[in-house]
Amino acid sequence: MLSVKNLHATVEGKEILRGINLEVKAGEVHAIMGPNGSGKSTLASVLAGNEKFTVTEGSVEFLGHDLLSMSIEDRARLGLFLGFQYPVEIPGVTMANFMKLAVNEHRKYRGEEPLSAAEFLRLMKEKSAVVELSSKLTARAVNEGFSGGEKKKNEIFQMAMLDPKLAILDETDSGLDIDALRIVATGVTKLHTSENATVVITHYQRLLDYIVPDVVHVLYKGRIIYTGDKTLALKLEKEGYDWLINEYDK
Amino acid sequence: MERIYEILGTFRKAGPEQLRVDAPVPTPYAAVDPEHLHVTLTAGAAAHLVVLHTTEGTSELTVELAEGAQLELTELFTAGTFSEMTVHQAARSCCRMTTVLLSGANASYRIDLAGAAAENNLGGVFLLGGQEHGVVKLHTNHLVADCRSDSTVKGVAGGEATGEFSGLVYVAQDAQRTDARQQSRNVLLSERARIETMPQLEIYADDVKCSHGATVGQMDADAILYMRQRGLSEAQARRLQIEGFVGDVVRRCGAEPLGEAVLALAAEKLERI
Repeated sequence: MLSVKNLHATVEGKEILRGINLEVKAGEVHAIMGPNGSGKSTLASVLAGNEKFTVTEGSVEFLGHDLLSMSIEDRARLGLFLGFQYPVEIPGVTMANFMKLAVNEHRKYRGEEPLSAAEFLRLMKEKSAVVELSSKLTARAVNEGFSGGEKKKNEIFQMAMLDPKLAILDETDSGLDIDALRIVATGVTKLHTSENATVVITHYQRLLDYIVPDVVHVLYKGRIIYTGDKTLALKLEKEGYDWLINEYDK
Repeated sequence: MERIYEILGTFRKAGPEQLRVDAPVPTPYAAVDPEHLHVTLTAGAAAHLVVLHTTEGTSELTVELAEGAQLELTELFTAGTFSEMTVHQAARSCCRMTTVLLSGANASYRIDLAGAAAENNLGGVFLLGGQEHGVVKLHTNHLVADCRSDSTVKGVAGGEATGEFSGLVYVAQDAQRTDARQQSRNVLLSERARIETMPQLEIYADDVKCSHGATVGQMDADAILYMRQRGLSEAQARRLQIEGFVGDVVRRCGAEPLGEAVLALAAEKLERI
């Protein structure tokens, strides 16, 4: 589904990604871990198409398309979803209005008719249940005045609405209390099928108790320096990154 | 625009020179391109007046609210009209004003709060594009004690447009316990657009609550990125953001479905900025 080859990217002339290779297949869950500043969020941003970053080398194929040549919105419409670490507040724009536009843009891209008002409301109701998001929040302005937990739930709610092929969740667990973490993580698990894939970027093992990864990668200094199975996350939780980093820096 | 005329067609005609309202139950009135219009609401009367400006000419409106009168006043500009409005408010009267400039008009307001506990609430928006030049001038006078005023004017300028807001809140020496607020918030959509904002306070009383503030900013690039990541085009994301910015003011022009119709018109204008 996703094939990243030798991806290099810079921001303001500074190289952050220095040769990423990553293969994600349908039905898989990947976790990307690593110390602060290793390039995890940059990888997510570059895949989503954030124009702040410049790709200097490498290629990314997503569902048979050359991802790097596509606009941010076309990547999204093709089925790439990025759950933001810091979801943005958009004053005066209601969730319902925003999601209606988003859902219908996705449908248009696939050559489908826009949803009727009734169909859309039904979809909103159904999907907000996935993350126990109160219908009061969907009537409010996007993320405005939402608590940290509500913002993250809202990300997963939008993911449910848009039904992406590949969801990249950038530190969706940061700033969550235990209950919100459980709701968010269970929501992600509910949305997982054999047809889609999830890449979870996280610092902590605790999220992976709910979202069990098939593959765990460690990113360091802009490269994936180690790949293992779910037991790797447990080992990292217990022993930290030093044993890997020391080996790599040698 | 047709929708607006359609809605206004169901309202009573105000003028051409005079409108006098005695009824305590609010009735909607409309005035299109009035040159001189004098509006009087007698004690305890209530009305909703919509004024539409579609010509380049001048327009002079004087509004007189007697004790306890309540007026909902909506003004919409679609041409470079030069308009002056004076609102004189007696005790306990309440005037809620909404003004929307979709063109390079020049709109001046002078509001005299001349009776105790009078209240004025104003929401204004100007959306300018191309080479338009739009001006909103607001002069709120607190002449006696215990009055309230609250004004928010939002400006959006794209292309090479220039916008101007000047606001003065004057509080006379005897106008104790005045509660006055004035906000000017502006967004520039292009490098060459300009907005000048000059909020001023002139206070001679010593027991007052007054605040004012002004901001001029750009579009929120993070919000645009966020919306595009959810599949909206850049143009859609920009439009949605500006609609969100001005929507609360535009939608408030009472007497639905007018608010939505004006918002639709504003959205059309945004396509052209």
